[in-house]
Amino acid sequence: MSNMKIEDRLSLLNYKIDKSYAHITVKPEICEVCPDHFCTFACPAKCYTLIDKKLNFKYEDCVECGTCVVACSHDSVSWNNSKGAHGVKYKYG
Amino acid sequence: MSEFDAIVVGGGPAGTSAAMRLAASKLNVLLVEKADPPGSKNVSGGVLWGNSLAGVMPDWEKTAPLERYVKSKGIGFLTKDSSIDISFRSTRFNETKTGYTVLRTKLDQFLNKKAKDAGATVVTGVTVDRLAFEGKKVIGVEQDGDVITSDAVILAEGANPRVAIDSGIRSPLKDEDVAIGVKEVIKLPEKTINDRFNLREKEGFAGEYVLGFLDGGVEAGGFLYTNKDSISLGVVISMKHLRENNKTYSYDIVEQFKNHPSIAPLLEDGKVDEYSAHMVQEGGLASIPKLYGNGYMIAGDAAGFSFSNGLILQGMNYAIASGIAAADTIVEAKTGSGISEQSFSKYEEKLMNSFVLKDMHTFKGIGDITWGNLIHQQMPGILEKVMLGLFMEDGEPKRHMNQIVKEALKSSGLKSSKLLLEGYRMYRRM
Repeated sequence: MSNMKIEDRLSLLNYKIDKSYAHITVKPEICEVCPDHFCTFACPAKCYTLIDKKLNFKYEDCVECGTCVVACSHDSVSWNNSKGAHGVKYKYG
Repeated sequence: MSEFDAIVVGGGPAGTSAAMRLAASKLNVLLVEKADPPGSKNVSGGVLWGNSLAGVMPDWEKTAPLERYVKSKGIGFLTKDSSIDISFRSTRFNETKTGYTVLRTKLDQFLNKKAKDAGATVVTGVTVDRLAFEGKKVIGVEQDGDVITSDAVILAEGANPRVAIDSGIRSPLKDEDVAIGVKEVIKLPEKTINDRFNLREKEGFAGEYVLGFLDGGVEAGGFLYTNKDSISLGVVISMKHLRENNKTYSYDIVEQFKNHPSIAPLLEDGKVDEYSAHMVQEGGLASIPKLYGNGYMIAGDAAGFSFSNGLILQGMNYAIASGIAAADTIVEAKTGSGISEQSFSKYEEKLMNSFVLKDMHTFKGIGDITWGNLIHQQMPGILEKVMLGLFMEDGEPKRHMNQIVKEALKSSGLKSSKLLLEGYRMYRRM
């Protein structure tokens, strides 16, 4: 099997996106001076990326695995459960 | 008076088993699950090992949505070019089923329906924010500013226990408590799976792998399980080692596993139908929190109940057994001395007398071995050298096995004193 890009794998998923509530938030002032940006390697849904060396976070692709809040050792990530059955909906799990 | 005798937070195997058990004792129980449909946010490898479900559903093997039973179990050490596999298959597994492959969205929907049929009030799509306290006593749960009152709460919220953490009854998870699970479900025709894995109808294969070939020396275990007409394949990545590496993407590691020369042919022409990820509880005894207090208990993954020794990877059976033990504790407290921290201490006692905490104690410190250098970095290479020494015919005079092993050990750079110590530890703890 050829390598599948993460974007293509994520596109297989169904989401009910919560437009009014981000269940994860980050503190930009902390991320700006972060020495490791380990979140970009740890997050399996590529929600954390570096654009021009600046951390960019989007919650819409989040699969609610809980990794990032452990991965971030700088207390930037606040993690809450999604509400109202929003977020990822697996068909197999 | 409370609105409910018990509230169960989380509709996975632990929560639904607890709810079934409570409802069977005619208690007024509310099961709250944040996903809708239930199970649609849950991920497991997954093989359901053991017979714990019989505690709430004697006929579960006939009625539950199970994919295949484990007929064949594999362990593999993978290097860049080779795989050294141990495969065990036995007709004994036909009579006594040891495990079934499952897909959680299907299984959890079924379990939630069973909880409802048993008499529990099941609400889905509702997220509990935290426990509601009166002093130190838990009096229910908070949800969107409201308090739903209950005499007892069972937290069965899974591997990312936000409610427990936000309620101050569990400390936040650390690197050594967890691993990152990344999985793909790959569609293949049933017959193709049967042919490739030497299986007949309903027979399944469950394999665990040490991935000794990953870029940058990242430590991860792989798994491959056969479903009816799909394969569940994934990796469990050590958070600690990925952090030390800090240059490999978690989502790339599963692709490296898929493309290994021994794995790729098994998946040929398969279509990736789902990608998923979830944290995995990996901390063993050291990461288990205080399991109960006045009015609450923690069960399943939320309590850190999972087991891995490199040969097997288990969680759902611990979840079910702990959910049942928590439910029984409530029933006994209600009919006995009443609900208190003291009466809920029986929960821990029950777990200490069952495989749940017995296994945690027996395998204390196993993580040092399963995530150790020896298994992940040295062992695959040593085994490969030994096998090549035995089976690669190169026209040179043949050597005795002890010589081959000696040379393999020598070229691994492993000091014999270290090997002796690590080997002894592995032998004792595994």
